Amino acid sequence: MKKSAAARRNARREALAGYGFVLPQLVGFCLLVLLPLINVFIYSFHNKNMLFGTNIYVGFDNFANLFGNDPLFWLTLKNTLVFSVLLVPLNLVLALLLALYLGEGRPGTRYIRTVIFLPVVTSGVAWAIVWKYLLQGGTAGPINWFLSLLGVQGPNWLLEKGWAMAAVVVNRVLKNLGTNVLIFFGAVMNMPQDVIEAARMDGAGSFTLLRKIKLPLLMPTILMVAIVTMIGSMRVFDTIRLMTDGGPEGSTMVLVYYIYHQAFKMFNTGYASAIAVVLFVIVLVLTIAQWTLRKRVSHYEG
Amino acid sequence: MKRFLSILLTAILLMAFAAPALAEETVALKIATWTSNEDQLKLLGSFVDEFAQAKGIKIDATFESIDFAEYNTKLLLELQSTTPPDLYWVLETAAPAFIASGNLAVLNDAMAAYNPEDIAETALALWKNGEDVCAIPFSTSPFVLLYNADLFAQAGAKTPDELIAEGNWTWESFREICKQIKDKTGVWALQTVDGQGYDARILHNLLPIVRAFGGDAWDENYEVSIDSPESVAAVQLFHDMVYVDGSVVPPGDESSFFTGAAAMTMSQISRVSNLDEVEWKWSMTTLPGNVPVIGQAALGAFSRGKNVELASELVAYMTSESCVARMAGIWPPARYSVLESEAFLTSNSRIDPEQMKNAVAASIATGRVLPSHQLYPQIEVEAKMAYDKLWKADADVAAILSEVAGIYRKYLK
Repeated sequence: MKKSAAARRNARREALAGYGFVLPQLVGFCLLVLLPLINVFIYSFHNKNMLFGTNIYVGFDNFANLFGNDPLFWLTLKNTLVFSVLLVPLNLVLALLLALYLGEGRPGTRYIRTVIFLPVVTSGVAWAIVWKYLLQGGTAGPINWFLSLLGVQGPNWLLEKGWAMAAVVVNRVLKNLGTNVLIFFGAVMNMPQDVIEAARMDGAGSFTLLRKIKLPLLMPTILMVAIVTMIGSMRVFDTIRLMTDGGPEGSTMVLVYYIYHQAFKMFNTGYASAIAVVLFVIVLVLTIAQWTLRKRVSHYEG
Repeated sequence: MKRFLSILLTAILLMAFAAPALAEETVALKIATWTSNEDQLKLLGSFVDEFAQAKGIKIDATFESIDFAEYNTKLLLELQSTTPPDLYWVLETAAPAFIASGNLAVLNDAMAAYNPEDIAETALALWKNGEDVCAIPFSTSPFVLLYNADLFAQAGAKTPDELIAEGNWTWESFREICKQIKDKTGVWALQTVDGQGYDARILHNLLPIVRAFGGDAWDENYEVSIDSPESVAAVQLFHDMVYVDGSVVPPGDESSFFTGAAAMTMSQISRVSNLDEVEWKWSMTTLPGNVPVIGQAALGAFSRGKNVELASELVAYMTSESCVARMAGIWPPARYSVLESEAFLTSNSRIDPEQMKNAVAASIATGRVLPSHQLYPQIEVEAKMAYDKLWKADADVAAILSEVAGIYRKYLK
């Protein structure tokens, strides 16, 4: 049956309204995300220097330099991977355990939820500055002062290799834990209670229940959160900028921070863009890999 | 139609009334600095007003205070923007890069009225490109020592002035009094420059000691000597003060001289205003070793600004004898007429004339500026990673400085 003219007009009006609603976001995205992104790709093939105003096409020279003779690039790449490899599992395990605990509705749940979520809504800058103060070396910092009461001499957290990376990772985990707990909590509350009940009737203990029933049920969420957390960890900037400035000895200099250094301290915009392209490819590959894995691992999706 | 006409008429009338206001020329000028001190900005603002009055125009000046540690980055981003600063301060370490980049207008014409004899040629050298002057130093400020006299009394330590009188004002004797103060009072003896001596101001921190020992980072011919035995001995002395004596506020500790948590700090006289509120007695003197190091800052005009000519004239005015004389108490000038005047010695009400003469005027006469190079931004980032290795108790100072020297040479050759 042919639609009436009025119905068609209605549909068109609705579509128009829809586009109207999307438009501001779309324009913003194109101007502020897509266009710069395309520019980054173009810049990466240029010897572009912001201070001197040079902009010469150099083909793949930037990439050749990057992979061929830039030890700093390899160092920052390694640091980025170390950072992610430490952060993602720590974040996921803690968030999952907390969500499972909260899901049981024990006393104090609401209080714990607030405490965990507070850092998420705190300004990242304020958070990092306060932590920098807390983590001062000697006994000047409250954390080391507290440790000294227990007879432990704390390290100079942000200025000793190794400790600095650990401090930054833990700091990031605490800052962003709340979001993941919230997502896991939602998934935990949505687990089919009849399945769990049935398993319990069959005599499954809490560990078996967790391993055989709950974890498989939560797997799609875990993978999704893992992808998002991984990508987020590759983009860490403010914490590094404010707490360690990439030091000591460049041990917390991650790729994004190196991009910042090249672009805004050394003014090599072209070279910085080339690093950004590499980072983009890394994130892309990781995302594709995880999506493929997700399809294979999660049997309960859909 | 009637309504349209009436609107049109109103618009025309409004424009007619507005026209005289537009005719009185108001030029908007933006000036970038790294000070955010209100008194200092007010003083600079008054220079702009005087200049405008003399020119018979109106200038709407905005001062933009950019954080020191981020200054070059943010300044450069602003220069790329559609509202770049017309005038800006330039740091000595960034001078060669900024001059080579062509971001500074040539000021030769604007400087026509200057008496060339009055400005120290050595002070101007850094800011010239051949015969072209690209920026004019408004501050040629030696690093000095500020100290908390009460803490010295409490520790029973000889004051720097007593040691100077004895002719024993060396970094070795300095180290001894530092240890004495820390041991007797439990308060840190020394805070590095603005507490940034381990990172952003590493050269400000180390060079006064290194040069007093006869070393240097690199000289005018880009000859690197940060790994010379003299430089190594100097840095070792500082390292021992931090890790053997435990007398210096260590890296990662935010204790500050200005809050009374350290007995001394290396600083410049522009920081003295931070001491207005303190309840203890303080004093100012030269750094030990008597090889003054000078931090320079200059004012330049943006070469691609909308009002380059006017901005250049304003640069010249703000660095003229009259203005420089009034800034001298905050930023010591490179002008003989001002430096040699009695007025200069009393120009900072917080500092007594004797201190001004000994610690500032004398140091400007003999001091050398900090090293600089066109690739300084690169050098700084890479050298910092090597310097970072110093801040451990068991650091091998000679090996680390040789690594730093390698980085310097890579860029300076």
